[in-house]
Amino acid sequence: MGMKTYLIDDDDLGIYLTEQLLRAEGFSNAICTFQSAREALETLVKEKENAAVPEVVFLDLNMPMMNGWQFLDALAPYEQELLGRCHIYILTSSLALSDLEKSREYDLVAGLIHKPIDSEEIRAIHSQLQDEH
Amino acid sequence: MTTPESTSGNALFEHRSEAGFEVDATGQFRRVSPGLAALLRQSAEQVTDTTWWEHLAAADREPARRHLEQALAGQPATFEAGRLSWQLLPQLTADGRIGGAYGFARVAEPSASVTQALMERERHLSVIFDSIADVTFVLNVEGDGRYRFLFANKAFQATTGLPMEQVVGSYVQDIIPEPSLSLVLTKYGQAITTGQRVVWEEVSHYPTGEVTGQVSVTPVFDEAGHCGQLVGIVHDLTELKKGEEELRVSNERFQYALKATTDALYDWNVAHDTLYWGEGFESLFGHALKHNPAPFSHWSESVHPADYVRTVQGLRRVAYETTQTFWQEEYRFHRADGSWAHVFDRGYILRDEQGRPVRMIGAMQDITARKKLEEKQHLLAERLLKQNSDLQQCAYIISHNLRAPLANALGFTDLLNRIDKDSQVFTDSLKNLHSSLLRLDAVLTDVNTILAIHDQQDVDDAEQVAVAAVWEQVVEHCAPELRAAGAEVVSHVPAALRIVGNRAFFHSIFDNLLANSLKYRAAERPLRVEVEASTEDSGTIIRFRDNGSGFDQARAGDDVFQLYRRFHADRPGRGMGLFLVKAHTEAMNGQVSVRSEVNQGTEFILYFRRHGHENLPD
Repeated sequence: MGMKTYLIDDDDLGIYLTEQLLRAEGFSNAICTFQSAREALETLVKEKENAAVPEVVFLDLNMPMMNGWQFLDALAPYEQELLGRCHIYILTSSLALSDLEKSREYDLVAGLIHKPIDSEEIRAIHSQLQDEH
Repeated sequence: MTTPESTSGNALFEHRSEAGFEVDATGQFRRVSPGLAALLRQSAEQVTDTTWWEHLAAADREPARRHLEQALAGQPATFEAGRLSWQLLPQLTADGRIGGAYGFARVAEPSASVTQALMERERHLSVIFDSIADVTFVLNVEGDGRYRFLFANKAFQATTGLPMEQVVGSYVQDIIPEPSLSLVLTKYGQAITTGQRVVWEEVSHYPTGEVTGQVSVTPVFDEAGHCGQLVGIVHDLTELKKGEEELRVSNERFQYALKATTDALYDWNVAHDTLYWGEGFESLFGHALKHNPAPFSHWSESVHPADYVRTVQGLRRVAYETTQTFWQEEYRFHRADGSWAHVFDRGYILRDEQGRPVRMIGAMQDITARKKLEEKQHLLAERLLKQNSDLQQCAYIISHNLRAPLANALGFTDLLNRIDKDSQVFTDSLKNLHSSLLRLDAVLTDVNTILAIHDQQDVDDAEQVAVAAVWEQVVEHCAPELRAAGAEVVSHVPAALRIVGNRAFFHSIFDNLLANSLKYRAAERPLRVEVEASTEDSGTIIRFRDNGSGFDQARAGDDVFQLYRRFHADRPGRGMGLFLVKAHTEAMNGQVSVRSEVNQGTEFILYFRRHGHENLPD
């Protein structure tokens, strides 16, 4: 169970909750949490050099300084390298339909999940990624 | 005068229309009938005192004497003299002598050709008389103040409604009733006495209605200077009088309309380039007119400079370069007291046959009150629209921000169900559930705060707020934090400064600005906050400066004031403070802007218009 996972969310409570839910489902032991999207971006780009990109990224949208969309835009130059290796799931408390539509414009985005993430969603993602391997 | 017994008796004289007479041997009239007097165009009394000869042309007197002698000799004689034919008969006295002559006169039968010419002339005259619209009549003057109608035209009948047969031959007193009768008789006498035409105006009631007439009576004299006839003409003034009356009523109505209207009416004489003003001009705008008409420039110079081209040149263009008959414009006009009136001006252009403007009649209407109301409504509508969109945006943002802690709370309850109750994660999660609910509560408190601002916006509880005192209070309230940060606070707000607004709102604005400065102060230097206020004619500006970490203005734009928008990931904050600064400022009809440079500091500029609270343009 070593699926490398990033959790990007400025909300400390949100990060703690998602991490515990993932652990409770036995999703991964290798979870990195970031309260700043910029910090997460820098780490991801650095680890890409070492071929250690995260297999799963849970990305919040509403964040100060750099929000979820800006994070995705910043990844655009690396899209080809990351496709198939890094699966980004938007995890947002927003229920706006416009977010779902916008998420489809990004090939790196594998899905959009409304907070809180539940065990079925976790299992579905898990099995989906297992199938790809 | 003696009247001897006569064989002719009175029969001759009883028949009034017969022109009977008696003369003595010397040709002196003894008696004459009214009929003869009428023929001679004199009264019977006048004729009685004269001789027969006096009534004859000089050439006819000698033949007349011979004819009289023939009659005195016992032979009846007939003698024509001028227009009359005289028949003389011997008159016997009681003792059988011939004492004189009696007879009668009549108008001589003219010869055939003369008759025809006369008839022709008569016909022409009657055509003329009958086609004259004025009532025309001829009166025979018969002494004793009696006048007999000899002639009356068709207009007479048409106007009086009296049949011709009844009038001609009748006396005036039988035709004209009192009180008119006395008047006309006086006038007739006056005409005869003075020998001059007499003219007067009278109102008569005829069967055809009331007639206002100008009556003229002209005396006609014979060779002897004797007035035997009067020619009367009545010129019907009824229509004229009616027209005059209508004109008077119409003028009066116009005068009252002028008084009733509050408009300034004018008449532009294009050739002289002058304006003749109605009384409204002075009362409406307070300008005293030295001259009326006044030069065109007197008006044009009072038109607002910003409206000048559109109004003055526009009018000239319409007048000179088009053939339009109407011109209208809305513009501002200078009142004598220096204020500006909003005016709606509309004129009608009179043009000559070539289409050139001759005059323009127009009215300036003062629509200042209506304009102000329109502007106020416009502002109100704008404000409501903005408020509505603000609220909508607010609702959208809040729904998002309510969802975040709610989602967390849901997630924690889910997690708590699935983990060991004795584990650390359970304890932490329970604590986090509580925190999530607290955040949810905080958002709802925010909602309450925001709604309260909008609630209070329309409440007329504006007061003169002593800004400096409020600022002092806020600084005191934050003293522990300021001391801890080693901050320096400098105030240049005049103690006497008052801004119309809400004290609580100013407190909130200063509190949030100061909290913002404290939160984002630069780590490398002690915080310094400076507040200053300056008052101008139009309003008051408050500047709030700090030397904090600042932010990238290019990136943030206007979003700094947006609800729940944050620009610092490293420091806690909910993105409520600056939103409240803006909301409270705008609730008092103020404006807020910000200037910031990263690591230099931030300056907030608050602007309050002098009459901002009235929501009216200055």
